[in-house]
Amino acid sequence: MNVFDEPYRWVEAVGQRRDYIEEQLKRSSPAIAQSVAEGILFFTFYRRMPKVFEVYDRIAMGAIGHPADIESARMMLLNAAHVEGFQRSPKDVTLNRLVLFVLAPRLKTAFEEVMAPPLIYRSILAEAGPSPESDTFYLVDYDGNVNQAERQMVAAGTESSRERVLSRLTKSEGFPSLREALPVLMEAFLYGSLGDEELGIDPSGNWADPEKLKSARKKLFEESCPNITLLDREKRILVGVNVQDLKKDAGIS
Amino acid sequence: MMGDWANGGSFLELLGQRQSIGSLGTQGLPGSADAHGAGPGIQATTILAFHYRGGVLVAGDRRATAGNRIMTNRVDKVLEIDGHSLMAIAGSPAFAIEMARVLEHTFKYYRRSQLTDMSVEGKLRILSQLLKENISMAFQGVGAVVPLFVTQDPGTFETHIYFYDILGAHFEGAPFAVGGSGSLEVQGILRYLDRWGNEGGLAGMPEDEAVVLALRLLEAASYFDSATGGIQVRETVYPIVKLLDRSGIRTISEEELKERYRTGVERV
Repeated sequence: MNVFDEPYRWVEAVGQRRDYIEEQLKRSSPAIAQSVAEGILFFTFYRRMPKVFEVYDRIAMGAIGHPADIESARMMLLNAAHVEGFQRSPKDVTLNRLVLFVLAPRLKTAFEEVMAPPLIYRSILAEAGPSPESDTFYLVDYDGNVNQAERQMVAAGTESSRERVLSRLTKSEGFPSLREALPVLMEAFLYGSLGDEELGIDPSGNWADPEKLKSARKKLFEESCPNITLLDREKRILVGVNVQDLKKDAGIS
Repeated sequence: MMGDWANGGSFLELLGQRQSIGSLGTQGLPGSADAHGAGPGIQATTILAFHYRGGVLVAGDRRATAGNRIMTNRVDKVLEIDGHSLMAIAGSPAFAIEMARVLEHTFKYYRRSQLTDMSVEGKLRILSQLLKENISMAFQGVGAVVPLFVTQDPGTFETHIYFYDILGAHFEGAPFAVGGSGSLEVQGILRYLDRWGNEGGLAGMPEDEAVVLALRLLEAASYFDSATGGIQVRETVYPIVKLLDRSGIRTISEEELKERYRTGVERV
């Protein structure tokens, strides 16, 4: 008797698979994407492998999970996008089509093949439009589930970490500039990665101990690399972002 | 399923896997060369590239002909391949433009998949390979392509001009290279200016003078070569002039060309 003979066992196997993947993802630090005037700002830190990649003109991915699985999904997107862009036109390569018709169905199939190793993968995919209002964001999960949003998107190891990041992001009207967004995203990233105690936040949610915050920032820069890039609205590619100010705030010259 | 996801970095291989390369294959088409062995197309053309003080200027006229008919006077023969490569085309427009599209996607696929730019040598080889695959079309007289390829090493900012023969061999053009039926006049003038012109030769020329020179060269070519469009002020058809310098590729606007033509070509 194996899992395919008995529906209950299959459901149970899928459930265990979900638990296993969630357990693996738990330790990942969040990745944030935010619409800014100049384009889409990707913000995260990494210890071993970069997490933010260009997919096509105007389209980029920020992913958490196992590096080999991120690479598999990245290549699938790259292949589909470049063949489509060559055979038709770069204008026909849209995030909507890539996510709904290429990535999501294949992730779902891979997730439900319970006898094959699971993909440990969760990602933000973003497409920069001509203006911040027309930017598109998707959160794509290992099981092929897709969420769409405007303005910003967060991928994190746990739902509570994701909610903590989101709670610190600006929700006001209008869009910030790159310079304005950087310190906000830095705070949100720290808030999503660490607990209140480590950050010196009092029970009412205020940053009560600036020294603790500063040392958390410093530790972050010392132990990991910033992966902060802009999907430039004009150039339509990922470009590096100057993080000197963030380093200065962290007490690193 | 994982096989499809492997990262080889080769766009041509990826296209091959999907059996969609089609027109770039080596299969021949029935047909024969016209009197000039060039077939319909824009081998009858003038394209040029030379080093000036700030970088490299690449220019081409706008005419496409079939025999003695003018097909159009608004072709773009200087194509941007990536942020630091330009290709100027002479020969069959269908194949040349297709090659440019393959190059563009090959370079960007490589950059994105390998997370690094392709080397200058690698880029030259890809174009050689495309020309080699096109040999049978070239010899049937319907698909010859003779490009100029100008590319900058993104690390050192050194910019080089290369010209190709129809078999795919490439040579560096220092300090200039030309292509197309109107290139004889242009080649002679460029050699003369580089040897006996201003001190420092072409490579010492400032940008504004380089743009005027390009316009003068194309007008001179069109004086002797009926297949070169020259500058048609009444129809406001100006050549394509692009510059590749440390800051990347810049296209000289029609307004600026108009002004340069008025002050540097027409008036003198």
